[in-house]
Amino acid sequence: MCEDCTCGEEIQKNSIYLPEVAELVSKKKMTDIDSFFEFELKGRSLGHLPGQFAEISIPGIGEAPISISSPPSDENTFEMVIRNIGTVTNAIHNLNIGDKIGIRGPFGTSFPMNNLKGKNLLFVTGGIGLVPARSAILYALQNRADYKDITILFGCKEPAQRLFTDEIEEWKNRNDVNFIETVDICEEGEWDGNVGVITTLLPKLKNIDPLETYAIVVGPPIMYKYVIMGLHDMDFSDKKIIVSLERRMKCGVGKCGHCQMDNIYVCQDGAVFYYDDIKHLKEAI
Amino acid sequence: MEILKISENDFLSFIDKKIDEKNEKMIGVVKKGSHFIFDELESSENLALNYDVTMLPPKKYFQPPKELLLKYKPGDAESYRAVNSCDPMAIVGIHYYDLAAIYMMDRAFSEGERDEHYMRKRENSILIGLYPTKYFKYRFAKSVVRDQAYKVADLMMVKMNGDYVVEVVSEKGKDFIKDGNFVESGYSLQDLDEAKNSVKDDQKIPIPVELIPDYLGKNHAHPVWETFGEKCFSCGSCVLVCPTCYCFDVRDEVELDLADGKRIRVWDGCMLEDFATCADGHNFRKEKGQRFRHRIYRKGKHLPEKYHYFGCVGCGRCQYVCSADIAGPVKVFKYMEENKQGGKNV
Repeated sequence: MCEDCTCGEEIQKNSIYLPEVAELVSKKKMTDIDSFFEFELKGRSLGHLPGQFAEISIPGIGEAPISISSPPSDENTFEMVIRNIGTVTNAIHNLNIGDKIGIRGPFGTSFPMNNLKGKNLLFVTGGIGLVPARSAILYALQNRADYKDITILFGCKEPAQRLFTDEIEEWKNRNDVNFIETVDICEEGEWDGNVGVITTLLPKLKNIDPLETYAIVVGPPIMYKYVIMGLHDMDFSDKKIIVSLERRMKCGVGKCGHCQMDNIYVCQDGAVFYYDDIKHLKEAI
Repeated sequence: MEILKISENDFLSFIDKKIDEKNEKMIGVVKKGSHFIFDELESSENLALNYDVTMLPPKKYFQPPKELLLKYKPGDAESYRAVNSCDPMAIVGIHYYDLAAIYMMDRAFSEGERDEHYMRKRENSILIGLYPTKYFKYRFAKSVVRDQAYKVADLMMVKMNGDYVVEVVSEKGKDFIKDGNFVESGYSLQDLDEAKNSVKDDQKIPIPVELIPDYLGKNHAHPVWETFGEKCFSCGSCVLVCPTCYCFDVRDEVELDLADGKRIRVWDGCMLEDFATCADGHNFRKEKGQRFRHRIYRKGKHLPEKYHYFGCVGCGRCQYVCSADIAGPVKVFKYMEENKQGGKNV
C-alpha cells in the first residue's frame, strides 16, 4: 500500500477524494425534517460563490452533496440547510456543537451575479430550492445597489415546511424586496396566505419587464417545466432564465457518472445553467 | 520504431526471468475453466496468449472493483488519510481493443480533475499488447478502433512464423526488454500487416463510427430504446464487463471492531435501476429504455464528442454476457438500421 511507500505523501497531497475538516458551530431546527447548520472550516474561508455545493463526510457513514446556503464570505464559516433524508444527512442531524465533519468543495457553477448587475431579479423557488437560492438572495441584498427590483417567490407543500421563516419576515418587511409565498395545500384555518402551486404566483406579478429581468429558478425536478412555461407566458427569453438543477452528485469531480445529463456532468458543468444553454438537452428538464 | 523479434520459447524464459526478478508484478492471460482471465503469473507455464477474449478487461488493475481511497477512525473527521495501492506491474498479452479502452480510461481520469489514485497505478504499469490470434464470434473491434492502442502500449506484439514480433513503442518498453533475447527482426511495419489482421471479425457496426454521434442525435425517439429496454433485466452485466465503463460508487465501510474505517470506490453502472436516483427518491432515468439509451449514447455520442474516439472498442463482451441478448452495439445499430420508422421518446 502506498501509505508505506514513497507515494504516500503524494497521494495525501493530491487525492481529489480527501476531505478537509470543518467544525459544527451552530445548528437550529427549521422544520420536522430540515435543520440549519453553520460550519467553520479550519484555517481558511470556503471561497464559494452563490449556488455552489460541497460534499460533506461523516467518517464511517459516508459522503453527501449539500448546497451552500450562505453568500460568499471572507469568514471561515458557511451555512447549510440539510434535510434528514438518508444515512449521511441523518448523521449530520445528530451532530453536536463542536463535532467535526469532512468537507470537499466547493463544486459546480454559480449564479452569475456579476452578469445580473443593473437588472431586476426574480427568484422562483420551491421547497428546499430556497436553500441554494438563499446564497444568491443574500448576496443580492448585501449588494442591493447593484440590482434593480428584487422579487422572491417561494412555494412549499404546506405551511409546516416553510424554511427561513425569520428571514422571510424580514424580506416581507423590506420595501426594496417584493416577497410573495404560497403553499400547495393547508388545513382549514392554518394559513391565511396564498394557496396553490408556485406557478399560480406568476400571474400576480405586475410590471415585470422581461427584457430587464433575470428569473432564477430553483426547486424540485417537476417544477421547472411549468415555471418555464409561465415565464414564457410573461415573454421571458430563455437567455434570461437561470436554473439550478438537482442530480445525484457523488464524486463532485466529473468522474463517477451519477449526475450525468446527456453529455454534461452536472456536478461540474452545473448545477447552475442558463436555460438557453441546456434546453436542447433531452434529459435536462 | 524498432521492430524486434523473439522466439516463443525465449519469450517464455524472459517472462520467467521477470517473474523471478520481482521488480514488478507480472500479470498475464491465464486459462480458467473454459475461459480466460487476466491474473498474476506464477510461471510462464500459466501464460495462455492464444486466447479469444478474457472475462474481464485489464481495467481491473487500474480501477479495481473495490478500491481503497481513504482510511480513518470512525467518528473522527480529523483522521481521514488518502491511501493508494500502485505497486509496479507489467501486463502481458493485452489485445489492441483493450488497450484502446485503457486510452479512454486514461483520458477520463487525467483530464479535468486529475485522479491520482488511478493515474499512479497507470504510471507504474507496463502494457504489453498482442494482436489477437484467436477468433471471437462477438468481436467487432476492427470496425471501431483506430490507432489508440499505440498511445498507451509500451510494446506491441504480433505472432509471426512462430516468433513474437515486437514493436517497441515506448522508452519504458525498451527498458523492460533490454535483458531479453530480443533481436532485430528485419521486418518493416508493412510486413506485419498481414499477421496483425490474420484473425477476422465477423461482426461489424453497420454505420461508419464517425457518423454515429450525429446518427444517435437524430434517433433519440427511435423504437430501439423502448423495444430493447423492455427486454433488459437491469442486471448490469454489460457495464460490468465493459472495458470503457468507469462509473463508480463511493461507500464507507467500518471494520467489525469499529476502530477502523475505509472509504472505498466500487464499480457501478448506469444500467442499474437506482444509478440516477436522488436522495428524495426522484429517479432521473426511471425507465429501462432511458437507461439503455444512455449507455449507447455514452459510447456512441458523449464519449466520442469529448475524446474524438468511439467510446466502444468492439470487444463483444457485453453481447456475450447479456442474458436478454440485447446489449451488443452491433445488434443495436443493426436494429436501428432495419427499423427506421419514428418511435416514442421514452
